[in-house]
Amino acid sequence: MATDHELSDFLKSVEKRAFKRTAYAVRDDEAALDIVQDSMIRLAEKYADRPIGELPLLFQRILSNATMDWFRRQRVRNAVVQNFSDFEVEGDAGDFDLLETLQVADDALGTESASDTVGRAQILLQIEQEVEQLPQRQRQAFLLRYWEELDVAETAAVMGCSEGSVKTHCSRAVHALAKALRAKGIEP
Amino acid sequence: MNGRKTTTFRAASGLSPHPDVLEARVGRRITARLTQRADELPNDITERLRVARQQAVDRARQLRKLSAAPAWQVQGNGSAVMAGPPSWWLRLASVVPLALLLAGLFVIQRTYLEQQIGAAVEIDEAILTDDLPPQAYTDPGFAEFLKSPRAAE
Repeated sequence: MATDHELSDFLKSVEKRAFKRTAYAVRDDEAALDIVQDSMIRLAEKYADRPIGELPLLFQRILSNATMDWFRRQRVRNAVVQNFSDFEVEGDAGDFDLLETLQVADDALGTESASDTVGRAQILLQIEQEVEQLPQRQRQAFLLRYWEELDVAETAAVMGCSEGSVKTHCSRAVHALAKALRAKGIEP
Repeated sequence: MNGRKTTTFRAASGLSPHPDVLEARVGRRITARLTQRADELPNDITERLRVARQQAVDRARQLRKLSAAPAWQVQGNGSAVMAGPPSWWLRLASVVPLALLLAGLFVIQRTYLEQQIGAAVEIDEAILTDDLPPQAYTDPGFAEFLKSPRAAE
């Protein structure tokens, strides 16, 4: 059973990423805060007696479900499907070479100048905007795999899809991001 | 230009990384940037997250206290009330009367059946041990005799 201290430390370790992920999805900071808060309370009420090792996966599931619930409520409220960006764009990353991206990025390591430092916040913002523009499922898979560091099976469990779908979503997301960022002159 | 760089890199390393490995490396680079961005959240948002976290921890603490507290508490007016969710013993105790009722019904049904069997045995025994043979009851003449006034005498 997780103690109060362990539960608090766990929530502290995930809260910022949880907020940002939710904000990328719902594009509304207030709604994202409400969703994260509800998810924390739900975790505490239903699963606080679970071992601390089980909490990360449980929290991700609760957060995903809460976000989906928010979308359902919004859909009912507005009676309009707004997420046109969820349509997948197929086959536009065909001749893109990730290795080039990595090579250029490796070359750039350790060479940050004062002007780079000044522009860093702007670059981070642009990266964030590109992540926001990913289709919802791609973004979810990408962030769960590489930001929350869940494995493929855990990501599939949270997303309620197959492991193959997770790999496909992740691959497309990485290629789309790398391509979009390079087009802006940003090396990931 | 870029194509030449790729070729140079592959030639220098002598290995071509697996696509999954490449994707993971690029993915982690991007999410590292996202982490930097997340660490720079405005104070009002970090404060609201801190309050939300505290509320969740307080809620978990309350629920733990309730589950550990005695099942009954005496109020100021002297009445006893349940404190928190019922324990397993209380749930078990609520099932016991139902089990007793079912056992009682079973015993009553069994006793009634035994009484009926006993009565049937007594009748059979009386018929079989009587001086009159059982076949006499199927004889129409004997039936007429039983209806006649002489039989009543």
